[in-house]
Amino acid sequence: MPSQPPLPHLLTPYVTSPPQASLTILSSVLGATSNWLVLRFLYAALYASPASGVGHGVLGVEAGKKRKVVLVSFLRGWEFWRSEAKRLGLDLARLIEKRQFAFVDGLSELFSSPNAPTQPQYPGARIPPRTTLPLRSQPGPPRLRQPVSPSAGGDELLNPTTKEPGPVKRLHLSGCGIVALDGIEKEIIAVINQLKTSTPAEDGEVSEVLLVVDQPDMLLAATGPSKAIGATEMGEWILGLQQAASATIVTISADSPLIHNASAFAHQPATPLETGHAAFAVGLAHRAEKVMQLRNLETGAARDVSGVLRVSKGGAWGQREGAEAEGSWEEKEVLYFVQRDGGVSVFGRGE
Amino acid sequence: MSFRKRNIGLSTGSDRTPTSDSPAQPQQATPSPPSTPGVRPSPDDGRPTTSTGSPSLDNLLAGHGGLPIGKTLLLEENGTTDFAGALLRYYAAEGVVQDQKVHVIGMPEQWGRSLPGLIGPAEAADEKVDRRKNDRMKIAWRYERLGEFGAGVAGARATSGDQSPSSADNNLDKQPAFCHAFDLTKRLTHPSISNISYIPITRSSEPLLVSIQRKLQALVASSPPSTVHRIVIPSFLNPTLYPPEVSQPEHVLPFLHSLRALMSLPTSRITAMITIPLSLFPRSSGLMRWMEILSDGVVELCPFPHSSDALSTSGAATSHEEPPQGMLKTHRLPVLHERGGGSDQNIGQDWAFTLSRRKFEIKPFSLPPAEGDKEAQDNARSDKMPKKEDLEF
Repeated sequence: MPSQPPLPHLLTPYVTSPPQASLTILSSVLGATSNWLVLRFLYAALYASPASGVGHGVLGVEAGKKRKVVLVSFLRGWEFWRSEAKRLGLDLARLIEKRQFAFVDGLSELFSSPNAPTQPQYPGARIPPRTTLPLRSQPGPPRLRQPVSPSAGGDELLNPTTKEPGPVKRLHLSGCGIVALDGIEKEIIAVINQLKTSTPAEDGEVSEVLLVVDQPDMLLAATGPSKAIGATEMGEWILGLQQAASATIVTISADSPLIHNASAFAHQPATPLETGHAAFAVGLAHRAEKVMQLRNLETGAARDVSGVLRVSKGGAWGQREGAEAEGSWEEKEVLYFVQRDGGVSVFGRGE
Repeated sequence: MSFRKRNIGLSTGSDRTPTSDSPAQPQQATPSPPSTPGVRPSPDDGRPTTSTGSPSLDNLLAGHGGLPIGKTLLLEENGTTDFAGALLRYYAAEGVVQDQKVHVIGMPEQWGRSLPGLIGPAEAADEKVDRRKNDRMKIAWRYERLGEFGAGVAGARATSGDQSPSSADNNLDKQPAFCHAFDLTKRLTHPSISNISYIPITRSSEPLLVSIQRKLQALVASSPPSTVHRIVIPSFLNPTLYPPEVSQPEHVLPFLHSLRALMSLPTSRITAMITIPLSLFPRSSGLMRWMEILSDGVVELCPFPHSSDALSTSGAATSHEEPPQGMLKTHRLPVLHERGGGSDQNIGQDWAFTLSRRKFEIKPFSLPPAEGDKEAQDNARSDKMPKKEDLEF
């Protein structure tokens, strides 16, 4: 099979330059994960941005302006993203050095934070001295100070192996409810702000940062009501992150048990996990401008089709001023196929 | 696919070629020296893999010929049978034989003593006999002997390579066996069987799964970095073993998440296999779905009920084949689905499994002709030799 271009042309209008202050939702199911699509977004934003001139706003600005990306991943580690991006020709490690990209690791120590405040969490000297990242509980201006509570468990860990050299920021979830989420939010926002101000553009303009949050719904599922984190809190949390970034992409799971069990017509009573997830996912879809759903082929597995991609307008589509500028894409349903070499072909049914 | 053919050709040339061929892969874990027993590079992309202890499950795993290091396999089973437990025993026994560090969670030491006994370095004996039987019709008798002679010299590995078309790599001839054959009716006696570490389920001040996670982490951290670990979790969340509050999402999911974090560390070389009873935690529940999302591979076993024994007997394609004992569904395969899915030759097949004394075999499933359908059966029987009246028009 011929190798595919990194960005299939059918996909290009959907992944390049999400408009300012927009939210894009990528939903996935068990057998059709969204990682390849996230990588396409990264590629479109980071790789050779003058070439992908399909942008928003005035055309002249595009050529010189480079987008920056912050990737927050809760289910997959740095190694995965780095190696998969390399298959696309995107060297994330170098982009981190060039301050165009930052990775926030929500996997390694989210639930098991070592209680060693002296230990530097990020051995890389990537952080400019202006804003030193505290381990946690930054006395952020508006919110209450987060108590250093050991209630998240796993605090006094003896893990010498976690000193992995990698220019990544690791998240910890500690405490309950809003406080725990705020702690994470602050850490992510700090990373975004650093990236924004790290290389001030020649004209003094603050560069745009695209925020990609990979599966934050895991937070919701793994905490639940006992930790006072529900769909509302998660929604507000995403909203807070959105304000810091110029555009946001969120991936969530949309498997049928997670979405449909909560409905009144389900055969079994819904668990709090299911109702919470459904509320969170549906709420996000209403706030999104674009929803890209990945799902399995209904007719069963096929050897040359990985799944179905459906792009549809979210609840917030067309609500911004200047909405006519975003008419460059239309709702569509296509098939996609992820090849062994990492290339993706996107095609219509029957093509 | 033309890609794969070429790749295999290169990999037979030298060990290092596949790794340099796909520059994206070697970071997945520390590049393993090829001498590590029980670990070999995947024929697909060169990442280190280790055997699950049953060759046909190895072959199912998306062309990697084994379970890639750092990945979890979730085995779900319907009903009250324990086929998944047999697979888990093979997996643990393989780890013992390969001198890997096996961690068993929630089971007493008796579990370790009941591991299946080792037959040989590979399934040489019975596999070969099977193949001979199948080939007998096709190969002339005098050539057949030649073939046997050649196979005898090449050793056991050639057989296993042949019967796994997806992982046909021949450079293992000189290497120690990757997968072994075990006998469920015997008991494993191996010097390193005492190395199995058991993490019991004990009440303590902190939540159970947190303490298990911490013990695991300490065990992994305290062993030399070259050790390959296997984490074995038999019937996870089973209420006869685990206290009821453990099956709450806020306990289970952080545990699986931390397990995933532990395994994805670039310094660690861990694989894990978990079995879970589906009758207690149905796949239609949100919790179960999250557990599946947090695992790298998800395989569901659906044993046939006893009443359908008759059907399954006739399900055997030929008389000397064992009848299938259940269906096997792959919902997610390691690495493949993380990348986006698709493009595996095994995808979309219906699988049937047969557990015999010596092996767990996974084969494509095909429905037999209906029992009462005399006509169809006659047709099937006369397939090879059409009757005269069929030929006359």
